[in-house]
Parts: sequence; structure tokens; C-alpha cells
Amino acid sequence: MTKTRTFVAIAALLTLGMLPVLIAPAGAQQTDRAKQIGGKLVCGVGTSLCNCKQILTQCNHVGCMNSSMMLKTLDEKVAKGDAEESIVQAFILEFGREVLAEPPKSGFSLIAWLMPSFYLLAGAALVIFVISRWRKRPAAEAAATSQAAMALPPELLARARAEATRATED
Amino acid sequence: MDVFGSFALLLALVCGVYAFAGGIAAIITRHPLLVKSTRQAGMATCVLVFIGTFSLEYLFFTDNFASAYVVSHSNKDLSTFYKIAALWSGMEGSLLFWSFILSIYVLSVLIAYRNKNGELMPYVGVVMAGVQTFFLLLNNFVESPFKSLAAPGANGIMNLVARSDGNGLNPLLQYPEMVIHPPNLYSGYTGFTIPFAFALGALLARYPGEKWIHLTRKWAMIAWMFQSMGIMLGAHWAYAVLGWGGYWGWDPVENASLLPWLTGTAFLHSVMMQEKRGMMKVWNVWLVFCTFMLCILGTFLTRSGVVSSVHAFAQSNIGPWFVGFISLTFLTCLVAYLKNRDYLKSENQLDSVISRESSFLFNNLLFLVACIAVLSGTLFPVFSEWFTGDRISVGAPFFNKVDIPIGLLILFLTGVGPLLAWRKTSPDSLKRNFGWPLAFAAVCATVAFALGFRKPYSLICLYLCLFVAATIVLEFYRGATVIRARSGASYPACVIDLTMRNTRRYGGYIIHMGMVFVFVGLSGAAFNKDVQKGMRFGESMHIGPYTLVLQTSDTKPNPNYTAQRMVVEVLRDNQPMMILNPEKRHFLTAKEENGTMVAIYSTLKEDLYVVFAGDDPETNLPVIHAFLNPLVKWIWFGGVLVVFGTLTALMPNRRAVLVLAGTTQPAAAHPAAQPLPSSVSLREGHD
Repeated sequence: MTKTRTFVAIAALLTLGMLPVLIAPAGAQQTDRAKQIGGKLVCGVGTSLCNCKQILTQCNHVGCMNSSMMLKTLDEKVAKGDAEESIVQAFILEFGREVLAEPPKSGFSLIAWLMPSFYLLAGAALVIFVISRWRKRPAAEAAATSQAAMALPPELLARARAEATRATED
Repeated sequence: MDVFGSFALLLALVCGVYAFAGGIAAIITRHPLLVKSTRQAGMATCVLVFIGTFSLEYLFFTDNFASAYVVSHSNKDLSTFYKIAALWSGMEGSLLFWSFILSIYVLSVLIAYRNKNGELMPYVGVVMAGVQTFFLLLNNFVESPFKSLAAPGANGIMNLVARSDGNGLNPLLQYPEMVIHPPNLYSGYTGFTIPFAFALGALLARYPGEKWIHLTRKWAMIAWMFQSMGIMLGAHWAYAVLGWGGYWGWDPVENASLLPWLTGTAFLHSVMMQEKRGMMKVWNVWLVFCTFMLCILGTFLTRSGVVSSVHAFAQSNIGPWFVGFISLTFLTCLVAYLKNRDYLKSENQLDSVISRESSFLFNNLLFLVACIAVLSGTLFPVFSEWFTGDRISVGAPFFNKVDIPIGLLILFLTGVGPLLAWRKTSPDSLKRNFGWPLAFAAVCATVAFALGFRKPYSLICLYLCLFVAATIVLEFYRGATVIRARSGASYPACVIDLTMRNTRRYGGYIIHMGMVFVFVGLSGAAFNKDVQKGMRFGESMHIGPYTLVLQTSDTKPNPNYTAQRMVVEVLRDNQPMMILNPEKRHFLTAKEENGTMVAIYSTLKEDLYVVFAGDDPETNLPVIHAFLNPLVKWIWFGGVLVVFGTLTALMPNRRAVLVLAGTTQPAAAHPAAQPLPSSVSLREGHD
């Protein structure tokens, strides 16, 4: 009963902590359109000028030959009121799919998105399997282990202490 | 001096090969003289590498422009400070520097254990010599830093020539952090060679007990600390120098440094499972192996041109060498494991799911998934091109989406893990340890929300940071209270006493607190603002609570560059606060490159970050780019705290707290003269 109450209390506190997140207005402080679209593109692709491949709006390549040119094009398209989709398509037509800062969620690139989740799930399954296997060990064996440890004579304990001290002082 | 240095490196290779091959022979024959001579050959290798490295530095200091490497990376007006850094600024020198740092580690190990662990050290020596030999092969035959300039003479024969001045050092590297960042990062990369050598050596030697873990742990912590410092300094350099307002861009070179850090962190946690419970032996050995291989992979990625990065060294043909070495290392590890895997059987079992052991398992899982996510994202463009012929980019948006949730889960476990008891945690203990921190974090997060901290990820991050910080503070408070009840000393004195009694445990908490600070800083990134404007003198721009007025500009001469400085007055509530001087530097070398110098006004709340972005090509007006980056200072404080915590954990306990580990062996026959059973080990207290 105490155990259940403890878990309920912890769950309640966790929920209270998460409450602000659940009711937070989505995209309450959006950046302007050009920054938003530029954040989805990289510079330095499809050209021999430079090969920096930095996020277009955050290019940290000092003296980058591409970003200013691409940003200017982007600003012009945004000023014209072009839709985001058509702006991105125009950049893809000019520089290829490499201009997209993240891989598309289709075709072969989908693997890039699925891999981390797959590893996390497979890893979690493995951890659960390991835990359950470790827990299946007979209780008698575990008890014998701790009894054997407790049955160590004082001389051996003293020597082990001295050895451990030496080892940990290295 | 170039011939001298070149010869020293060649001799070092000969000694390295002898230490490696002779070491194997010594293991087989067990001849004491052979063991001794190979150890001394290992030491000689290190000394010769030092001589080779100092020879190259001497060429820089004496402006020897007959040396191709010096011509490419230095010039007469380069200050002495940066002539030191010029050593590792190019491919050849950086690989020599790798060998140099590795030699410091190897020599330290060979000296520290020259009369200890006689059965294990020959194996360790062979592994270290193998790694050294590989890098010395590169230093001598693939990327030698001692090439001289030559030109064909009238008779068609090549003659040695010297230039009057060099091309100069890359301007981006001419900052104090670039002098200390690479040595730190290299110390991290190379440092993991030592735990690797001990792990592989212990496996090959079937070295009994957990002693190799004791011996390795401190070396792993040292390497981890340097890796952390290297990453932090690199981030700070990117922030303070590159002028883009950020500190981490998920660039392949940055990612390469993060990979071994992630697995190294996992190892430093899971190693406690082996020390305390004799569990996860296979896992630990493979974590050390993987960490070392990731260090080599990182060195490969930054130098091979496999992945494109603005921070990478020039493309070269060393790729196949590294692929061969990594493959050989993996095969050696696999064979050693398959041959001796019965030696790595777990001694204990899990008593409860809610226990420290489980939290370590999940902690390791998350670190490893984070590592795989970063690695696969970094290499995915290469795979995509191989399999589909389609070139794609995997940039920051991908890594942020994938790694932020994993990072938050790790942060959650940072708070939970240390408070769970070994074996089993009772509900009462859960309530006692987590009740107040959860309540405190919930209340504070609600207040933060009310004050405008409303981005979901940032708010979750802040909530978890507060929770973890509260659990750590509570741990220190409880421990100090017990000491205070006995001694009557002040709380700060009791906290110091408590920490010194169990440096590893409380040093670990300090590291966790440092990571909390780092996460607090990262959570601020969601609220960054920036404004860019071409400005006339006297004109102003506004960002957050600040008004920036461009007053004038001036020129600052320096022997190596000319700086064009903007004089920007900062006002807050119409009150003058300070003058900031962002500048653009024009380097007077053959390449005539430019660099930036960002002006930053940093507070705990936010950084006002001002960049002179050059002149607008159409209007010719100076362009000022101002950023307001909240909480960035917390990241650097966090980094300092991580280093301080690691140093604390490396200190010996003032009074050893010893904990008896379980044993599966009968304790009946054990006369005092007999060696201790391998499973009986009394370890440093770290509950």
C-alpha cells in the first residue's frame, strides 16, 4: 500500500512538473520566415566555391563564398511572398537534394530517422531481457554468495583491506 | 634540425617495432631480460618521439623556411605563442602531436608500473607499442612533417631551397583557445589508449580479479576529463571566434570528438557495476574497446575527407591506413574476446528492477544509443551516396530532433541513478530521496513558465535540471548534517570533509552538477535572438533591453595583422553601459586571410554578442550583427565544474571507506600466506 502511494505521489509530482509543457502554446515565439526556411537549408553544396555545409542562417565558415549569395536569394523569394514549399523546391532545383539540412523522411533516407528509434527500442528490449535473466537466478545461490562473503575470517579481511587501499591509491 | 628530427622519428619507429615484436616474444618466452629490454625500448620510443617533436618546434622558432611544413603554417611575424600552436595546425604536425601526447601517457604508465603488476604489464606494453608503431609509421612514411622544399636546378637535379617568409598560420587558429583546445582534445583521444591497453592486456593475460579496472579507472577519468575540456574549449572557440552566435553545430569534426566521450562516459558509470558487484564484465571490456576505436575513427574522420567539414584537415591519402588499423584492432579485440570470454563471466545477479544496477544499465543504453545516433547521422551521407548515388546532408536539425530527447532522458537518470540503492531500493527510500526534489523542481518550473520560459524542450530541460540539482544538494546536505552532528563544524567545512572522505562519490556529484549547468545553458538556446543591420555612424539598433549605437571605427595595427575595429556603445534603459569593440582582422601573410573578433558582454542571464560582419557590398556600410543568447555562461561554468569534479574524484580518499563485495567462492581454505581470491576485493566506497 505504501509502495503504491509512493508511486502515485511521484507520478503526481512528475505530472505537475510537466503541466506547463502540456499547456504551452505551440510556436509561441516563432522566428521570421526567412530564418525559419533558412534553418532548413545548408550552404556550400552543389558548388566548388566552398564545401562548408553549414546551416544557411548559422553558417560559421568565416569567408563563406556561398551563404551571403544564398541568403540574398532566400530574402528575395520571401519578400516576393513565395510559399515555403516553392522556395525550398527552387533551392533543390538549383543545388540538388543535398541543400536540405535534414534527410527527407522517405526512401533510403528514412533509415536515418528510424535507426535511432530502432536502436533505442532494441536496446531497451535487450536491457529488459538482461534484467529478467539476471533476476531468474536461484535465491539459494545468491544467499550462499553473501554468506560466503560474510564468513571471511578477520585476517583475510585485513589483508583485503590493505590490498584494496594500495590498489586504489595507485 | 629537420634531418635530426626525421632520424629521431625513424629510430622511434625501430624501437616501437622492437617493443611490440619483442614484447610478444617476451610474453611467449617469459624471459626476464627480454621483458626488461622491451619495456626500455618502449621508453626509448617515447623519448625519441619527444626529440622529433621538439625538433619540429625548433624549426618553427628559428623560422626555418626551408622546411615545407614550417612554410605552410608559420611566418616571421607570427608570435612565439602561436608558433607553438603551429605544430598541430596541419595534418603532418597534428599526427606527430598525436604520437607526442601518446608517448607522454605511455612513458608515464611504463614508469609508474615498472615494478608492479609483472604479469599484466608485458601485455599492456605490447598493446601500447602497437598503437605507437601505427602512428609512427604514419609520421615516417605517410605524412612526414620533416619534408624540405626543393626546386629543380639548371641541370634538372632537385636542389634544396628556402623561402624568405612563410604562408602564415590559419587566422582562425590565432586565438588563445586554439593553443589549448587541441592539446586537451588530443590528450582525450590518446588517453583512451591506456584503458584500452589495460583492458585488452588483462583479457589476453586472463588477469585475475578486478585490479585492472582499478588501474584503468583513473587513466580513463584523466582521458575523459581532457576530452571534456577539449570539447568545451572547442565550443567556446567556435562561439567566441567564428562569429555565428552558436557553440555547437553538429559538424562531423565536432561529432567525432563527442563519440568517444559518450562511450567513455558510459564506461565510467558501468565500471562501478564491475567493481561493486562483479557484473557487466563483457560490456565494460567492449565499451573500452569501442571508445578506443571511436578515438581512432574520430582521428580518421577529421583527416580523410570521408565526410566534409569546414573544420577538418586537408584531404589526404591516410584513409586506407586508418581503415586498416581500425579493422585490425577490431579483429584483435574480437579474437581476444572469443578466446577468453569465459574469463568475463558475471559473478552476481540482479535483486530488484528498482536498483542502482538497473539505472546503470539504462544509463549505458542511452549513452550508447546517443553515440550510435550521432555516428550514423555523421556517416549517413556517405552511406546514402554509396547505396543510392544520392548526395544528402544530415545537419543540425536532424541531430537536434534525435539527440535532444535522448539527452533529456540521460539528464533524468543523472538525478535518479545515484539515489537508488545497490541491490534494491525500498519505497520509503524512494519517497525520502525523490519527494522534495520533484516538488521543488515542479514549483520552480511552474514559476519559470509564468515568467515566460515556454518552449517545451527548454522547459522540460529546466525542470529536470532543477530536479537533478535538488537531489545533489540534498545528498550533500544530508551527509554534511551527519558530520556536523558529530563535529559541530560549519556546513561548508562539513561539505569539504564529506567530499574528502569519499572523493569519488562526491566528485561524481560535482560532475553531475556541472552537467546540470551545461544543460541549463543549452536550454537557453531556444530563446536566442539576433538582429543584423548596415549602420551609419551615430545610428542605433535595438536587441532585447539593449540599444547599440555605432559611434565610430578605428584601425589597430599588429605586426601580424591589421584590425578594423568598430566602436559600439551599449545602452540599457537609455543609460550608457559600456563600449564593445567587435573587429575584423586582415592578416598580412601570403594568403591575405581575414578573421573576426567577436565582442561579448556576458552575464549569468544572457550574452550580448556583437559581430562586425564586414561592409555591405551595395551600400558600403559596416554591418553589425548582434545576438542575445540567454544562459550561455552557464555552459562554461558547467565545464569548469565538470573538470573540478573529475579532479576531486581523482584524489585519494582522506579516510578509505571500504565495502565488501560478494564472493561466489567458498571462504574456507584461505591461509594468510595464500593470495586473496580474485572475487574478494574491498573497494573504495561509492554507494
